[in-house]
Amino acid sequence: MAEDIAIVAFAQTPSYRSYGDSEASLIMGIVNQILGDVEIDRYDIDFTIAGSCDYLLGLPFSFIANVDGYGAWPPIYESHVEMDGAWALFEAFVRLQCGDIDSALVVGSGKSSSGVPREIFPLQTDPYVSAPLGLDPVSVAGLQARALLEAGKATERDFAEVVSRSRRDGLSNPHAQVAKDVSVETLLKEPYYASPLRKHDLPPISDGAAAVLIARGELARKLCDKPIWIRGIDHRIESHHLGLRDLTDSPSSRIAATNLGLDPGSLDVAELCVRYSPEEIVLRQALELGNGTQINPSGGPLCGHPVMATGLTRVIEVARRIRNGEAGRGLAHAASGAALQHNLLCILEGDA
Amino acid sequence: MSEFPVSFTLEYPYTRTPGPVIGPFLTGLRDGRILGIRCGSRVLCPPMEFDPDTGETLSPDFVEVGPSGRVENWTWIAEPTRKHPLQEPFAFALVKLDGADTAITHAVKAAGPEAMSTGMRVTAQFREERVGAVSDVYFVPEGDAREQAIEPGEGEVEITTHLISLTYEGKLHPHNARYAQGLLDGKFIGQRSPVSGKVGIPSRGYDPIARVVLTPADDVEISPTGTVVSYTVITPIQYRGQTETEPYISATIFLDGSDQALPQQDIRDIPLDEFRVGMRVRAIFRPPAERNVDAVDNDWMYPTVGDVVERWAPTGEPDVPMDQIPETM
Amino acid sequence: MAERCAVIGLGQTKYDRCLPISMDGLVRQAALRALEDAELTFADIDAIVLGKAPDQLEGVIMPELSLCDALCAVGKPMHRVHTAGSVGGSTAITAATLIESGMYNTVLTVSYEKQSDGNFMWALSGGRSGGQGAGGSFAPWIRNYMKRSGAPEHIGWQVAVKDRLNALKNPYAHLHLKDISIEAVKESPMLWDPLHFLESCPSSDGAAAMVMTNAAGAKRSPRPSAWVLAHAKRTEAGVFPGRDPVIPVAAMDCAKALYKKAGITDPRRQIDCAELYVPFTWFEPMWLEAHLIAEPGEGWKMVDSGATEIGGDFPVDMSGGVLSSNPIGASGMIRCLEAANQVRGTAGDYQVEGARVALAQAYGGPSSYFAMWIVSSEPNPTFK
Repeated sequence: MAEDIAIVAFAQTPSYRSYGDSEASLIMGIVNQILGDVEIDRYDIDFTIAGSCDYLLGLPFSFIANVDGYGAWPPIYESHVEMDGAWALFEAFVRLQCGDIDSALVVGSGKSSSGVPREIFPLQTDPYVSAPLGLDPVSVAGLQARALLEAGKATERDFAEVVSRSRRDGLSNPHAQVAKDVSVETLLKEPYYASPLRKHDLPPISDGAAAVLIARGELARKLCDKPIWIRGIDHRIESHHLGLRDLTDSPSSRIAATNLGLDPGSLDVAELCVRYSPEEIVLRQALELGNGTQINPSGGPLCGHPVMATGLTRVIEVARRIRNGEAGRGLAHAASGAALQHNLLCILEGDA
Repeated sequence: MSEFPVSFTLEYPYTRTPGPVIGPFLTGLRDGRILGIRCGSRVLCPPMEFDPDTGETLSPDFVEVGPSGRVENWTWIAEPTRKHPLQEPFAFALVKLDGADTAITHAVKAAGPEAMSTGMRVTAQFREERVGAVSDVYFVPEGDAREQAIEPGEGEVEITTHLISLTYEGKLHPHNARYAQGLLDGKFIGQRSPVSGKVGIPSRGYDPIARVVLTPADDVEISPTGTVVSYTVITPIQYRGQTETEPYISATIFLDGSDQALPQQDIRDIPLDEFRVGMRVRAIFRPPAERNVDAVDNDWMYPTVGDVVERWAPTGEPDVPMDQIPETM
Repeated sequence: MAERCAVIGLGQTKYDRCLPISMDGLVRQAALRALEDAELTFADIDAIVLGKAPDQLEGVIMPELSLCDALCAVGKPMHRVHTAGSVGGSTAITAATLIESGMYNTVLTVSYEKQSDGNFMWALSGGRSGGQGAGGSFAPWIRNYMKRSGAPEHIGWQVAVKDRLNALKNPYAHLHLKDISIEAVKESPMLWDPLHFLESCPSSDGAAAMVMTNAAGAKRSPRPSAWVLAHAKRTEAGVFPGRDPVIPVAAMDCAKALYKKAGITDPRRQIDCAELYVPFTWFEPMWLEAHLIAEPGEGWKMVDSGATEIGGDFPVDMSGGVLSSNPIGASGMIRCLEAANQVRGTAGDYQVEGARVALAQAYGGPSSYFAMWIVSSEPNPTFK
């Protein structure tokens, strides 16, 4: 029987086009905010885990400096994943399932502004046959978009509708970096960038961080009035060879959903890691999300994409809506790799 | 306060050993042939070392595929990056080569997006200069293909080189900018935490223990005089970008009035047999016009005083006795 | 713990300066050997945990994305750990946690480094000139340890010889220095005073893998299990006024938490042998003290007396250690693997007779990350 584990507090920075101080200081702000919201001493938190990426800053071991942001003196029980903070949450959840510790602080952070992400991220692809071609996530998203068009699973108007709705929703998100009221017709007049994608189908380049505090049942209830229960978390990966994938589908998301016993009809809200507009269509179809589920009310990554915190931010956006009563149950999704290669699902629920 | 732009290029020519399957594939490209590998009843191209469904290691049963094939999917890249194989607008496409059952993702050089369509036929074109890398080839619409007479190279491709070069740009964080300005002015500027009272240099802009952000009001000037608390002699190891060639002393120096040592201070003019822990030294700054802080960046792991200190000169004061050297550094 | 974790399969590649294989081939070799040892196949694996040091070493970002096919991870959870030099140990611990949580029955964990693709000194310096390497950073602390403890300089030479002699018994070890001697160490070039060339680790390619399972899986497993009695990790801030990087508090806290969990009260007596992360000779006595195996200032005396040799009362780095093989991202996992190797009784020529309880440790960053585990031939050994 799985242990009851809940999010008791969360915080995120705005998505900045360029944040002028260190990643550690970004983290320090949100961790201090969490510690201000919850009555717990930093050093009574049993476990700490962060997700970040050395290549964003171009510095090996850059995460060592980030430790200052969440504090490690006296020494702490800590770990780090070179993955989005959502995977740090996964590991923290697994760790708390062991039953011998009760709380964990989870952080995701990244500053993409000093580098050129489109030149950096080809290094995520096969180092022998893809990376030397500079095969970048934008180009792969273009391939995914065309695959959807040609399979009859989407139209260019569908992509524009995702963008129009997301950017409009971003207007009410104080953390959004890019938000505007723009019509589908206007968007469709823009030139192609990685056809059939246009520049507006892409996320902005962002700096930012996100953090959550999770705790086991009894402690969670003690620390807050409205714990947001993690009903399940799972992640699955797909082949890195595009030739072996069906880019119009997300079988890995479906496996995770099946494993979690996800009932799409029960979801009031879903925050999906839609870095490129076609990804929303792939995920909606793969997860069978219906009209009763509000998708990305925050505007999603199209309004702010602090790489390494983007996935964990989805968790926070769902948790926020459950806490303020807008939703009872929701799904957070995180993604890694080009064209949704690696997907994580997290089901969250408030007290009935 | 002036702004200090920072820019650096992370560049290295990675040398990859491609192994028993990608090696022959790259050898093939160098020699003008595209190889797939048999995997049960299928042919995989690009070839893999194992059956992607079962993980079973495949025997090296290669099959020549192409040079033509069918575009399964494509995207038109209006603005290529510096890393793309073609520097004019082009298409990335999934190409299923004749004789192969899986598609390879590669570049297609075509007149424009109008010239591209799913289902179109394309043909491999090999570059004049081939080095045993996946970029030795690209594709063109079948009708545009030129006849090529390719001279095979010698031996097998055992190494494929990938020059990775990434440039990062930004500016010094505010506290680092004040530190850098201080160095240009011939001063060591640190910060005193209002919580602990401890003085750090260079400051990271916060007190990592109390987790409070520091402000310009917390800046303090630190004495250029201090004590050697430890040192080592570095025999420089040569690597790409290393310009040091001769052995030198690298000392850890505790400046008076600070609570954090400056590590890795180069000592070039004190003979090794005179150098010792406990020695009192003072930074002699270069003349203002010769001071340079280009090496100061936002990366705290390698704190530097830039190129502003001409040398660390012995003050002639008595050594600090061993038992008064801080246990901690 | 919801479940107990047992290590049932071990796999290593040969460690060498340059292995002429792909990264796919490298991780597969270790993984397939571990699976073969466990008499399982990829199909039996529920989740994969990958560990390696900075992505800059190979110029491959988030390598789980390009290695998932090679490890048959498609459709499964694939997780990536990175905690600096301690990463191999942290990766093993994360994999054990997946089992202990009760969420996964059988887990494959793999760590690797393909150092020959790039250059560690370059990567560590962030591509800048003046990089002094890890040795340049650690040498002043070592010098400080020597001052504090009054250790004579030959202690470093002794560790260098002992580990290289041990490595001669380990076919996987990178360095097989048949003519190693105190003289040879002393005469080798001084790189970072007081560290000589032969007191430093090599730069290696290589991978290590383990298969872990729960009690039910262990029962079905054909070969002996190494039971994970306890694991612990501690991190402290890397730089702050008043920090002691020589005997870091995190190192002591980590050991205390570990021993408490395992029920160990007298580590030197109750632990039969240890694989410690010793990339530079002096870290053997330093870790013996920092991990509370020796009294403060006494670690070097254990080395001097021969206690840490195979046949001594507390053998350390029987496999030859990091000083003989250093595929960085895997080095911590190799410590965990070799500890398991000892308690399973499968360590061949470097087997410590009757080893029942073994310690493994890895560290990273500016001596600010620690990962440790204790394994035993018995799931619930009693300590007197």
